Amino acid sequence: MNHTMKLTIRRVEGAMIRALGLIERRGFAVTSINATEDEPAQQLELIIGLRSADRSVDVLARQIEKLFDVCSVSLQHQNEPARRLEESVAC
Amino acid sequence: MMTGAELLIRALEQEGVETVFGYPGGAIMPVYDALVDSSLDHILVRHEQGAVLAADGYARTSGRVGVCMATSGPGATNLITGIANAFLDSVPLVAITGQVPTALMGTDAFQEVDIFGMTMPIVKHSFLVRCVEDIPRVVGEAFHIAAEGRPGPVLVDLPKDITNASTSQPPLFEMKSNELDGPDPDEVETACRLIRDARQPVLYVGGGVGIGRAVDAFRQYAKDSGIPVVATLKGLGAVPTRDPAFVGMLGMHGNQAANETVQAADLLICVGARFDDRATGKLDGFAPRAKVVHLDADPAEISKLRHADAALLGDLRKSLATLPTGLSLEPWQRWCAERKQARQWRYDAPGDGIYVPDMLRQISEADPELLISCDVGQHQMWVAQHCHFNRPEQHLTSAGLGTMGYGIPAAIGAQFADPQARVLTVSGDGSIMMNIQELATINRYQLPIKILLVDNASLGLVRQWQQLFHGERYSEVDLSDNPDFVAVAKSFGIPGFRVEKRTQVAGAIERLLNSEGPMLAHVCIDPMSNVWPLVPPGQTNDVMLEEQSA
Repeated sequence: MNHTMKLTIRRVEGAMIRALGLIERRGFAVTSINATEDEPAQQLELIIGLRSADRSVDVLARQIEKLFDVCSVSLQHQNEPARRLEESVAC
Repeated sequence: MMTGAELLIRALEQEGVETVFGYPGGAIMPVYDALVDSSLDHILVRHEQGAVLAADGYARTSGRVGVCMATSGPGATNLITGIANAFLDSVPLVAITGQVPTALMGTDAFQEVDIFGMTMPIVKHSFLVRCVEDIPRVVGEAFHIAAEGRPGPVLVDLPKDITNASTSQPPLFEMKSNELDGPDPDEVETACRLIRDARQPVLYVGGGVGIGRAVDAFRQYAKDSGIPVVATLKGLGAVPTRDPAFVGMLGMHGNQAANETVQAADLLICVGARFDDRATGKLDGFAPRAKVVHLDADPAEISKLRHADAALLGDLRKSLATLPTGLSLEPWQRWCAERKQARQWRYDAPGDGIYVPDMLRQISEADPELLISCDVGQHQMWVAQHCHFNRPEQHLTSAGLGTMGYGIPAAIGAQFADPQARVLTVSGDGSIMMNIQELATINRYQLPIKILLVDNASLGLVRQWQQLFHGERYSEVDLSDNPDFVAVAKSFGIPGFRVEKRTQVAGAIERLLNSEGPMLAHVCIDPMSNVWPLVPPGQTNDVMLEEQSA
């Protein structure tokens, strides 16, 4: 499933890599990214294209929301088929 | 005026910190210089991993934020395993690392690593301090974040020029409240309906109950509702393990009755647990008929692995108080009690070799208030199965990460957190070698920690899996060339003795527990001893192997 996530983050050291790293670690591929600076607010707005075969994007949104440098998260769902990501198997 | 390092120490004192575990080095020398004039007790360990795991044990025992510090580069990377341990077990921790001066950062300087970047996936949050005036705010936020909601580790990386800089910034920072909200009323209504409609409900309790200081509220609800209780590894002690309503630990090495109870349930009330794979077995077949009411402080755990039909977010105490009591569950309670009776542990093992489950049962009964830290492996599972816990803090175990080498440092931290506690470490011959240098810390501070070393001359749990699931192709699990552990302990100034026969066990327990100072009992067991029962990896929890069926 493909999704678009809109993130507003504080413009502080590590905030962007923290959010993007979490997205990939939680089993989503980043397919596109567009960043715009809101200088007066000291924030960055990120529009991120995501893809995952079997992970819940709502859970991902709650995981990102927990990051302390994230100001807001919103999702736009798209019903396109997605390629299956390599599954990790717990041993 | 004061230096950044002095400001840091004042800010830590302001937070109420009394004990810090650490190891000095080049980039953190200004902080160690400031420690000389401080009221903080710095505990010098012999490896940074010992510092962070001791801080973890301190936090779990005291309920306060554990603090550790290390220098840049290898000092910082040596903290990583312990930070991950705290992350996976939701332990409040602040790890302070020295960093090379700001001007050298990014130049591959001596002992420079990007610890801020390296630890991002395993911290709740992290700070790289770029301005000396930020130190009080960062320390205040670090302690608040570490402890609020679902706790976790916070890293504070401090470049050396920042700790050396002068400032007139006061060490004060306004504290925030850690209080959590109560649950959503609509979700409460759904949860109450599900509970009232259920005929076979189960309380599935995890570590969140202890962490959320909700033990009393949980016990009250379990008592008033009469719902049978199963626990995860970290949930042990949420109700006393001897309580009649406690069916047992669920999961891979759980009690068969607990797994049967969960598999038969029509409602799981998950309280501060997270459907971990070691608890659920094959997720698709876990409690297949059950609806789920999930109580948690962390919104990201809701429906992460198992759909929640009702989600009660926030303070567990407030959520538990909203749930219905006075339920009529007699047939179900009787069924669970019968399963528990039918599946109770047996201690009549044949032969004259030492039977570890019985030894652990005896030691736990000899001193029911023992605070037990474990390492990782077969002995860890035997402790969970056969020791009794009256409260969660009695059981220090590396549940999520499974960190071999956790036991001794965690016991050190626990002993500093509660100097009156009687602390026992149960370790294995594989695990103890991972942090054996911390015997020097036990001796340095004359901590009266007792160590029960269960030695099967192998990596027992890996060997067991190779035996059962890899066609007895044993690969790198033989540890028969272990050192003489009694002599090793003696060389660290810790007396010890060896136990080799079942007839020696009772005397050994008495000798170990009644010794004045630290003591090691080296217990030699059959290398082919296995942990039973066992859910094979990838199977559902109703497929449990017993010794005779393997």
